[in-house]
This record gives sequence, C-alpha cells and structure tokens, in this order.
Amino acid sequence: MPPIIDPEKCKGCGTCAQICPVQVFRFHRAEEKTPRPVFGEECWHCNCCVEDCPAGAIRLRVPVPYMMVHVDADTLKPARSRHDGN
Amino acid sequence: MMEIKNVYEADVLVVGGGVAGLMAAIAAAEKGARVLVAEKADSRRSGSGAAGNDHFRCYIPECHGPDVERIVYEVLHFSQVGQCHDPHLTRVFLRRSEEIVRKWESWGIPMRPTGQWEFTGHAYPGRVRSGLKYDGKKQKAVMTSEAKKRGVTILNHMPVIELLKKDGRMAGAVALDVSAEEPSLCVIAAPSVILGTGCTTRLYNNMATPGWMFNLAYCPSNAGGGIAQAWRIGAKLVNLEMTSRHAGPKYFQRCGKGTWIGVLRYPDGEPLGPFVDKPDRACGDITSDVWNSSFTDVMKNGRGPAYMDCSGLTPEDYDYMMWGMDSEGLKGMLNYMDEAGIDPRRHAVEFMQYEPFLIGKGLEIDEHGRCSVPGLYAAGDMVGNFRADIGGAAVFGWIAGEYAGSHIGENAAFSDEVVCALPHVAEVRVLCEKIMNRVGGCPWKEGNLAVQQIMTDYAPSGPHTARSANLLNAGLKYLGDLRQTLLSSMSATCSHTLMRALETLDLVDVGEALMHAALERRETRPPHNRADFTFTNPMLGELFLTVRKEEGNIVKEWRKKDNSR
Repeated sequence: MPPIIDPEKCKGCGTCAQICPVQVFRFHRAEEKTPRPVFGEECWHCNCCVEDCPAGAIRLRVPVPYMMVHVDADTLKPARSRHDGN
Repeated sequence: MMEIKNVYEADVLVVGGGVAGLMAAIAAAEKGARVLVAEKADSRRSGSGAAGNDHFRCYIPECHGPDVERIVYEVLHFSQVGQCHDPHLTRVFLRRSEEIVRKWESWGIPMRPTGQWEFTGHAYPGRVRSGLKYDGKKQKAVMTSEAKKRGVTILNHMPVIELLKKDGRMAGAVALDVSAEEPSLCVIAAPSVILGTGCTTRLYNNMATPGWMFNLAYCPSNAGGGIAQAWRIGAKLVNLEMTSRHAGPKYFQRCGKGTWIGVLRYPDGEPLGPFVDKPDRACGDITSDVWNSSFTDVMKNGRGPAYMDCSGLTPEDYDYMMWGMDSEGLKGMLNYMDEAGIDPRRHAVEFMQYEPFLIGKGLEIDEHGRCSVPGLYAAGDMVGNFRADIGGAAVFGWIAGEYAGSHIGENAAFSDEVVCALPHVAEVRVLCEKIMNRVGGCPWKEGNLAVQQIMTDYAPSGPHTARSANLLNAGLKYLGDLRQTLLSSMSATCSHTLMRALETLDLVDVGEALMHAALERRETRPPHNRADFTFTNPMLGELFLTVRKEEGNIVKEWRKKDNSR
C-alpha cells in the first residue's frame, strides 16, 4: 500500500508521520527506526511526504484503479479519417 | 477512562489550520488576541491547500481598473464559484483581496512568479480575468511560520470534535488529541471560535473509484466537522442542498482543471465547448466550469467520453502548464504520469465529473465572518453564502480573525472550570469511551460507506438524477437508523480510528441537515433536481434557504440575498 518508505534511506526523523494531511503513518520513535504507513488505504497521494522527506526515502504507489485513462491525442478525429489511416 | 489531558484558554480558538484558519489566526493575533489553532493534522501540510494551489481570485485595481463592480459581475455570473453568494460578501471580499495578495507576497509566497500580475486559466476569451496565477506550493509552511511569529499557539493532531455553547453564546470546544496512539481529550475555553474546517468530502459514494473513498480532489480529512458541530449547537446553515461536483482526470481525482492548458474534445476531435479550439494559455478551456455536468452528459448522450487534449501546446506553454501543476500541488499526479508513460503532449486524458460534496455551502456568515451563534465565526470552503476557494478562504479568514481579535470583549469568556463542567463535555467523553471500549464493533469505514450509500440513493445530486419528498423522507429515516446503529455498535482501536469514527457521526449530521434543506426547496435548481417539482421557481431565485436546529426542532427559513453595496 502507498506510500513506501525505503528503510535503507530513512533516517527516522518522523517528518512524514508528522506532516501527513490524512495521518497515514504511525511512528513510535522509541521502538522503531522507520515510520509505518499503517493506514495506507487512506493515502490521498498528495505527495507531501515524498517532498518533505529530507532523505528522499519515500515513493508513492498509486493503486491500479486510479489508472488515468487516456488515448493517443492524434486519434481524436472523425472515425472515417481514422479508418483511412490519416 | 479517557482523560481530559489538558485545558487551554484562548481569546480566539481557530478550528482548522488551513488557509482560512491560519489567516484568521494571524489577523486575530495582530490585534492582540491570545490565539490557539486546533488542527487535525499539521498546519504546514493540511487541508485542501496542503500541497499547493495556483489560482487566487482577486481584484487588483492596477490591472482591473477602478471599478470593482466589473469583477463582482464576473465572479457572480461568469465563474464556477458564484452560484451561492450574498453579493455584498463578494464585494467585501474583492475590496480586501489586493491587501491580502500583497501580504502573501510580502511573506514570501510568489504571487507574481513571472514578475508581473498574471491572470491565466478559468477564463473566457475576451473577458476580464480574475484568477491570479501564483505559486502556492509552500503557502501552508509560510502561513504557519507567520502565525508563530505572532505568538499563535498551534496544536497539531488535535481535531476539535465538539463545540461548546453556554447561555446562548460560545464557550469553547472539546478536542481529541490524536498525537499518540492512545487518545485523550482536551478542553479549550474560548469566547470566540473561528471555524475553518474546509469542504465536506466522503459524504457520497466515490464515483471515480468505488470503494476507494480517499481518492479525492479535495482533502479527505475534511469530513464536515465544523458544519456538523455548528449544526448541533444551533448555528444557521445555508445553501446546503446545493451540492457541488468537481471534475478532472478520470479515475484519479485531482483539483486543478483550470491548470490544464488544452481543449476538451469529443472522440471525433470536436471541442465540447465554444470557447477555444486550440490550447490557450490565457484562458484554458472553461467549458467544464460553465457546463458543470458536461462530462456526465457526454457519457449519457453517446458523444463521449470527453478528453483533455493538450497536444497542440507550444514547448513554452507546455513548460508553463507543468510548472502550474507543480504550483497547484499536483506533483504526485505528475510522477504517476511519468511512471505510466502518459505525456500530455501526445496523450489526451479522459475527464469526468466527480461525486457530490459540499464547498461554498454550509455556515451562514455576515460581512465580518460572524455566524448566527454569538462568538462563532466561519471562513473558507465551509461557508454557505460565499465561495471563492483559496482567495475567499484567505480574505474572509483574515476578516473573521481581524474582527474577532479586535472585539475580544464582545462575548465575555467563561472560566475554564465552568467550561470543563459543561454537561456536553461529559457527554462527549462518554461517547469516546464507549467507542474505544467496545470490542468487535463496527469499524468507522463501514459507517462511512453506509452514510455514502444512503446519501447517494436518497439525496442524489444532478445531473440525470432527482430527489423527491418520498426519497428524502426515506433517507432521513435511514440516516436516523444508521446513527442509532453507529452509536450502539461503532468501535475504534486507537486515536486515529476514533477520530474517523467521530467524523462518520459528523457526516450523518451533515447528511441530515442537507436532506432537511433539500426537502424544503420545492423546485428544481440544478444540481438540486426534484422529480416532484420539476420547474425552477423564479420567486426563489433571489432567496437563500437556511436550516438550523432549535430545541430539537428543525427550523427552515428563506431570506433575501444581501445585495447591498
């Protein structure tokens, strides 16, 4: 579940857990080195944690249903001319 | 037992550290008030402006000329935000807007990032433009720092869960400390309370990705808290039945449709709207602002889907658009597009209309931001008789803070002992304890989904759906049943899930208030469509509908819009 923290890069500063607008993370500073994204389903994908992480240790994985459906822009033309290969 | 961990005292309590709340806090502190902000997350990155914004509606005389009425007219009649305004408030807002823009600039928020005033996007060819293009990426951090400089106390991870009233006026609030896994409560004694809790999301089924209720354009933490809590203490709500629907990329809900520079096209290449036929950096394509239902309509009429086609952009305009998206806080979406190989220069992205929510519908305010309960104020997206998004939140937040901060004696404060002893404090504590102590009950998510299914079916919002007295009465019955079910069965395991459980109960209240208002509006005025009253009644066009609770009864009142100058 998003977001994903790279434990190798994470310095354990807790910035992500502090600033997340939807409070996806839990971080017990005394017991763990890296915050845990325990409420991953509540991620807003706002990217704030990615941007504020001083170690660049976080990336977002966007869930598959969020697929941004799209077409090649040059197919936006009348069906006949597409058929003609133009 | 859940402890009352701390008791705070303030002259002005600000609920929500978003754009409106922080501006209110700064203004009140400048007037000498002791100000406390209770924020659900962290004010540096919270609310719908958390990651950034790029349009600030305003009136800058050196660009727009000496007549403010020109911009008033545009906002009221030519913008997507003007539907539910008291025009008097529009004028108050626009007259103060330049001052606030310049304040932001002096604090280091780039309001002229290209070196000059630039009004681009959300605009019509040939008409005056009022959306100032700015770079709001760091706006929340900047405002937080300005608030702290003025001695404002910010309590992060401290959502207000109940407002406290005594002898007909504000006494303070109860907040839930969610900073640790174990929840605790705080009481804040304050004679003035400024609400800035944002729009109401999570009220209707998610239409982009059913089952993913946090896939939202606006901040999913905004669950109508301030509106529900104000409703419970009898404050007037206005225009609640006039639900809004935002639009943007299909399946990936985001704001910023005015940031895209392209043409909305049918699959055959024809533009949806009459405004642009090639990408226009100055205007964008305002079609979906004006024709709010466009993306739903074209899916139903056989001509859709509709695409945002940016393929004709010049390299300079492409860079400008991508920079604008970064300012708007869309970096997460841009990263996704990069990874998925979606390039707006080659690919046309489908757009859709998202589910209903409340923005610019909610608390009724006057020109000072005051609500109908003495000592209570509101600003920003939760206000019901004015809307201007970021600019509106900033300016009316400031106005409310300035007024509250300079009228500290207007409502005498109650001592913290008196506030802590209010019966309501004990009731909230008992409710929280019950939810926390219950084992194996209903998790908040079930409750939230139940609210959404009832709202979607019984208070649907147009297009192509209609409400009726029968549906709304049934919906009110079902929401009442749901509230009882949730009160007797909802359980939480930590501070976070308790917060969400309380949000769910707030959403039930917002839904009920909305349905009461929708019952009273016996006409069709899109998106409020009534199957049993299909006409639009011109007699109601000059009126606003307010609803409030008084001793357990629902009071519905119509009043004239305030058009004074």
